[in-house]
Order: sequence, then structure tokens, then C-alpha cells
Amino acid sequence: MMCPHMDAQLNEYVDGTLAARDRASVEAHLAECAGCRAAVAELRSLAAAAATLPKSIEPGRDLWAAIETRIRQRAPRNVQRVWWFGALAAAAVLVLAFGIYRLTARPPDRRMGEGWVAVQADFDRATDELGVILAAERGRLRPETVAVLEHNLAIIDAAIGESRAALARDPANAELRRLFAAASRQKVELLQWVTRVAAS
Amino acid sequence: MSYSGGGTMTPSQDSEGAPARYKDGEDAALAAGGDIRAFARLYGSHSGRIFNLARRMTTSEAAVDITQDIFLRAWEKLGTFRGESAFGTWLHRLAVNVILARRATLRTERSRVTDEEGILDVLPGRPGGSDLGMDFERAVEHLPDGAKTVFVLYDVEGYRHEEIAQLTGVAVGTSKAQLFRARRLLREALNR
Repeated sequence: MMCPHMDAQLNEYVDGTLAARDRASVEAHLAECAGCRAAVAELRSLAAAAATLPKSIEPGRDLWAAIETRIRQRAPRNVQRVWWFGALAAAAVLVLAFGIYRLTARPPDRRMGEGWVAVQADFDRATDELGVILAAERGRLRPETVAVLEHNLAIIDAAIGESRAALARDPANAELRRLFAAASRQKVELLQWVTRVAAS
Repeated sequence: MSYSGGGTMTPSQDSEGAPARYKDGEDAALAAGGDIRAFARLYGSHSGRIFNLARRMTTSEAAVDITQDIFLRAWEKLGTFRGESAFGTWLHRLAVNVILARRATLRTERSRVTDEEGILDVLPGRPGGSDLGMDFERAVEHLPDGAKTVFVLYDVEGYRHEEIAQLTGVAVGTSKAQLFRARRLLREALNR
């Protein structure tokens, strides 16, 4: 019969988790206590039995068909998400397109500065909305996709930043407006594409 | 002693070693992108281990439903798998969480109270020469829930107490106490 107060120590002794000093103390006790020696033998036998238990047992029947059915049943939610993100992205593009139209279609006048500020705000809002969608769905993208995306976004952002700075100095410059419009479209198209991929 | 390999620990996959792990990672990335066939391959590689874990921590009857729930949850959560650990490790941890949550529900549905030490009385006495393996499986199955969880995770699956404490929300000392209790009950049952 094991000494009741040795329960935890014997278990830790068998697990090999005792400090050297405690281990020596347990070994000294074991040298004099047949009951605890027998308990250690049982604990070791138990550990050996646990180690030989099968790690893998296939279910009695194939569960994959049911799992696949349930996954496909849940697909409408994905479709819904795709539709919702698509609608958001489309709205962002509309806002942007209207702003760019105002910027490029109207002849330069003294109010062009005000129009430019409004288009900038619209563009920032549209890309922010798409950015929020992208952040939420980022985890669904493969790391390589994220790397390529970030690389391309950095290039486009640099082009937008440069044309924006130039337009701030010369708001009536039609070429700069077209350059800004082209870069903005590229950014929105890229964000649209990536939100579609992430949601699919 | 930390559990490290998930499905890669089954005998049929040991020989494949690292390539199997990379294959899992690739399939996990494809599945995260919506590729069901890739997810079917992951199911094929890991279903036995996951079903066995669910069976051991609950019952054979409940394990069928729980295994399906685990793979459905894995499908939904694949986006959170970053490849920092093996897919099998990620799946195993997710499985433990699903099993523990499901078992809390099962506990309220069961009429029998399994948190009593006398539950091992359900085991027949073991006459000399009978199959120790079968008796051992049955004894583990009838352990009280708390003791069974820690015994399966520590002694069978190779988790450390710190990991078990994190997964189950108990203190490390409680995890140890439950393990020692499980071993005492098993020794008593198998010595009858």
C-alpha cells in the first residue's frame, strides 16, 4: 500500500518532472518502502499502457459525405457575403467615378480647388471602405496573395501620392487629373478584385 | 512531451515525415481559398486521429457527430491557420476546444453522473489473462470527465500541464491533481 502523502511526488517522479533534490528524496523513500515501490511500478505500467493505446481509429462509417453536404449548405452564406461585399465595392466605385467625372469633365474654373477637395474626400472614403472589407477578409487570403497585393498597392499609392501632390500645386492641370483618375481606378479595381477573392 | 505532430503521428504517415506536413500546409491554404477537394484530403489524413480523440474524451456514439462538427469548425476557421504550427497540431487543439464545449452540453443531457469515483464499478473484475488493452480502454472511458480529459491529453496525447491548463481553463495544479486522480482510479479499477 502506497503512503498517501507520497501520491503527488510519486506521480511526478514517474513523469520525470521532479527537481533533482526532490527526486533524491523520493528515491531514498522508495529504498525503504515496498508499498511505494509497488505504486511506482504500477504507475509506470499505466504510462506504458497509455502510450500503446491507438492514436488513430477511423469512424465506423464515412463521415465525409455528411461534412461536405453541410459545408455546401452553408455556402449561401458565402454567396451572401460576396454579394454584400460586391455591393459595397460597387458603391465605392460609383462614388469614385462620379468624383473623377466631376474632376475631369468640368472646365477649370475658380471653383476647381473646391471640387478637388471634394473628390479627394470621396476617394479617401471609397478606398477606406474597401480597406475595411479587405482587413476583415485578409485572413482568408493566402500569404503569397497578400504579399503581391501589398507590393502592388504600395506602387499605386506612390503614384496616387505623387499626382495628388502635383495637383495640389496645379489643380487645373488636366493631365494630372487624368493621371490621378487612372491611379485611383487601379487601386479601386485591385481592392475590388481582392475582396471578391477573399469572399469567394 | 508537447504534442507536436497531429496526423503526422499515425504509423502510415511517419514515413512521410516533413513532406506530409508541407502537403497539409498546401492543402490548408487551398482549402482556405474554398477548395473542398483539398479539405477532403485533410479530412482523409486526420479523421482517424480526431475521431479517436473525440471517442476517447466522450463516447463512441457522440464522437460521430462531434467529429463532423470539428471538421465543419475547421473549415470555417481555416483562415486563422497561419502555418506557424503543423496543421495537425492546429486541428487537434481546435478539436479539443470543440469536444470540451460539446461535452459540457452532453453532461447536462446525460442522466448518469460521471463525476463520481464509484463509476469504475461498472467495470467487470478482470480475470487473469483477460485483455488488458480492452479493460484499459473501458476504464479510461468511464473516468470522471475532468480526470479523463487530463489523462487523455497528458498521458495519451502528450500535452504538457501548462497547455492543458490553457485549453481547459484550469490552473496547472488542478490539471496535475486531475491526472493523479485519474491514475489512482485506473490503478484501482485494473487491480480489482
